[in-house]
Amino acid sequence: MKLIGKDKPIHDARGKAAGFVKYAGDVTLPNMAYIALVHSTIPHGCVKEVRTERALGVPGVYGVFHCFNTTARTYNRYRSNFAQNLPGEERVFTDYVRFVGDRVAAVAACDQETADKAARLVEVTYEELPFSIGFDDTLSGRNCLAGERPVRDEFFTEIGTQPDDDGLIEVTTVSEMPRLHHATMEPHACVVDCDPYQQQLTVYSPNQAVHGIRLVLADFLEMPYHRVRVVKTTMGGSFGAKQEWFLEPAAALIAKTLGRPVKLVYSREEAMVCSVVRGAMRGEVRSKFKPDGTLISLSMDVLLDAGAYIGNAADYIRALSGKPFRCYRIPYFRFCGRVISSNTPVSGAFRSWSAAEEAIMMERNFDEAARQLGIERIELRLKNVLLSGEADRKSGVPLENIRVRDALEQGRTSFRWDELVQADRAFNESSPRYRRGVGVGCGGHGNTYYPRFNDYGEGRLGLNEDGTVQATLTLHDHGCGTVTAMRMIIAEVLDIPDTSVYLAEGDTAVTPVDYGCFASRTTFVLGRTAYDAATALRDEILDRTAELFSLTRGSLRLENGAVRCRDDECVNITLEQLAQASMLKLKRNVCAQAQFNNTSNPGVTGVHFAHVEVDTWTGFTKVLDYLAVQDIGQPINPAMCAAQIQGAAQMGCGAALREKMTIGKDGRCTESLSKYHLFLATDLPDIRVLLLSDGRSEEGPFGAKSIGEISYVPAAPAVCGAVNDALESALGTLPYDPDCILKYLAEERDS
Amino acid sequence: MTLHFFVNKRPIVLETSPDRRLLDILREDLHLTGVKEGCAEGECGACTVLLDDQAVHACLTIAAQLEGCRVTTIEGLAELGELDILQTCFVEEIAIQCGFCTTGMIMSAKALLMRNSHPKEEEIRLALSGNICRCSGYVQIVKAVQRAAEELEAKRTCAV
Repeated sequence: MKLIGKDKPIHDARGKAAGFVKYAGDVTLPNMAYIALVHSTIPHGCVKEVRTERALGVPGVYGVFHCFNTTARTYNRYRSNFAQNLPGEERVFTDYVRFVGDRVAAVAACDQETADKAARLVEVTYEELPFSIGFDDTLSGRNCLAGERPVRDEFFTEIGTQPDDDGLIEVTTVSEMPRLHHATMEPHACVVDCDPYQQQLTVYSPNQAVHGIRLVLADFLEMPYHRVRVVKTTMGGSFGAKQEWFLEPAAALIAKTLGRPVKLVYSREEAMVCSVVRGAMRGEVRSKFKPDGTLISLSMDVLLDAGAYIGNAADYIRALSGKPFRCYRIPYFRFCGRVISSNTPVSGAFRSWSAAEEAIMMERNFDEAARQLGIERIELRLKNVLLSGEADRKSGVPLENIRVRDALEQGRTSFRWDELVQADRAFNESSPRYRRGVGVGCGGHGNTYYPRFNDYGEGRLGLNEDGTVQATLTLHDHGCGTVTAMRMIIAEVLDIPDTSVYLAEGDTAVTPVDYGCFASRTTFVLGRTAYDAATALRDEILDRTAELFSLTRGSLRLENGAVRCRDDECVNITLEQLAQASMLKLKRNVCAQAQFNNTSNPGVTGVHFAHVEVDTWTGFTKVLDYLAVQDIGQPINPAMCAAQIQGAAQMGCGAALREKMTIGKDGRCTESLSKYHLFLATDLPDIRVLLLSDGRSEEGPFGAKSIGEISYVPAAPAVCGAVNDALESALGTLPYDPDCILKYLAEERDS
Repeated sequence: MTLHFFVNKRPIVLETSPDRRLLDILREDLHLTGVKEGCAEGECGACTVLLDDQAVHACLTIAAQLEGCRVTTIEGLAELGELDILQTCFVEEIAIQCGFCTTGMIMSAKALLMRNSHPKEEEIRLALSGNICRCSGYVQIVKAVQRAAEELEAKRTCAV
């Protein structure tokens, strides 16, 4: 292959390096109004009065919008396709505030400084109500949302037959994970332009589903869909943070009311508190093993704190119940998931959609089981991981060429696991202060919505007059190289340079209706769609050439951007010649369309290894070495895959060792990066990546599988396992930050 | 106050309040939107620019500090579509993903290479420790700076 498997920078890398690329927050339109939001300062209560006189008195203020002068219509922030049966639960501005950060009002003004100043002058009077800041409050019966039960949703499933317990060893572990902030470097932003004469709204926003935003806005504003155009802008990271709609409805309502363009850009504080977080989770895992290490039974009881709006929580907890089957063989499975509400920031999508939390719970249990059974940790996993040819027992879908076993074995060798175990033992015996340990984490994920629902994609390709290719797919590049990958796929099929393909991103006025870029479906489903569309265009090119130049169709082939003929080496028809001849003589464009209907979801897995050193005096953990082994199938662009995997490792190290959003007794959440500790360049080793490409998928383009979410799944478990190995501990509450470790060491000394 | 300073070698005279942030002056008054706002409290480094060749956070620098100073932004590195060596190395080493941290990262690296032409890996990591990247594990970014240092050295040697 000429392009697939080659390293390429992201398509807009040069513009990004130059500071030339425009993000939504960089866009300015004539007569634009700038919006500043007014958020609830209390965790729970009713808005009794909003006084706007002082704000309206500031020169340059165009209007103040609040719960008493705007619509009471509701929408659902999580809705992204028409088939979802979701209740509208959110007003643009609410008179019943559910958490510190709920939207109460907004000011629109001539510039941001004026809007911010006037927003501080909006006076809101509340009647305060009792509130809950998490599991303990809610489960003890503290009323947190009027008219709603504390447990908002409950889900139970059972697979297989409960085994006879005779001779089985039961292992119970409890894990607790805090709320996490996605920490996209670009805070949320959108610009909405309004044409009152055509009753047309145009929304520019970094997001994962342009059609999802269109659907929610059009229904909310009672507009026909074709009058709402949503254009995906360059996205400064998402990780799930930009797949729910909490600022577009407010901006659209104000733009429509004022009849002028508006811009709404979140501050970091707003991005942390008023967007979505990964919800807090608490889970108990009870596994039963045969003495030889064979897993016989797995039982999970999981609690998820949805926060103030239920959003995606009901789907999120259900998704978790399917994740173990993407990695392990589980004869009997019992799952009970409960979703609670609290007066805290709203939980939502986060990279891997619960697989990372599931893996933390599961891998902690495996480490504990290894200890109790006296079986080496990698050996225990090798005994229970799924093998090529097995199926996902929950969905029944074949896992095809799953390579988690190879990943464990090759990683063990490449990481020098057994040598490190020996070396750490010697080190720990001689070091009074530092303790070292190694950890391993396994995980599995999907590549598509299938079989939850039938996934599909549409792509359209055509030749321009000069023979270059115009491609239309609904893409949302998060910054991980989606556009580049699609160009490579199309160009490989057509045997042209990838730079000859132009590919726009999601724009509801131009690109086909699509679910959006999440569920790790982009490369697998849309990549295959691009492949099929390119194949259809290749066929069209050969058909039209045969017709126009009176050649035998079967003798033609595409080579180096030209049509060549097996029977006549002199035939060398460029795509430019063909495109022009078709227009002039056949009166038609050379173009093709493909609809790909996806019917598989192969096993995609990862195994990560971490080596850490814990300072028992400070409680600080240093990551000494890290290896990520990914069962990726055919990597389209290996360097971008590696970069993304290293980012996932960084994020997983953060989840394991540092990151947490805390809620104070007053209901206020962590609202600053100075208190939310992310991994910096000085904190990480040279993260190594090993791509296993032989576990190719049957449906993915060139055998590709997903990478964005699966790469995050095994990261935190590996690091947690390493810390527990170093300390010979079984810490249950993440993150293992200095507070956690020092507390554990103090308890150990006392006991 | 009337402020006189230089931005990307161009003399600028601006009527502004002394407490206006350099970040707002650059983005809003001068339309240099390559300078990004990620946190407004000096934690993320997305707004890093050079102030008299030192890397500073534009969100924590105010107009009163700028009189007579030279400010260099990311827009001051490239000329008419031609990236400089450091920028080119970021592109070619696949050190760019979402790009929101990139401009600040490049400016921190620029400041490092201006004062230290042979930085060790630890020195590069330290120089970049005020810039958060959420997409990567910093591996390619560090490599890009290492390669830029080597290429700049080779260029200097050729010039001699």
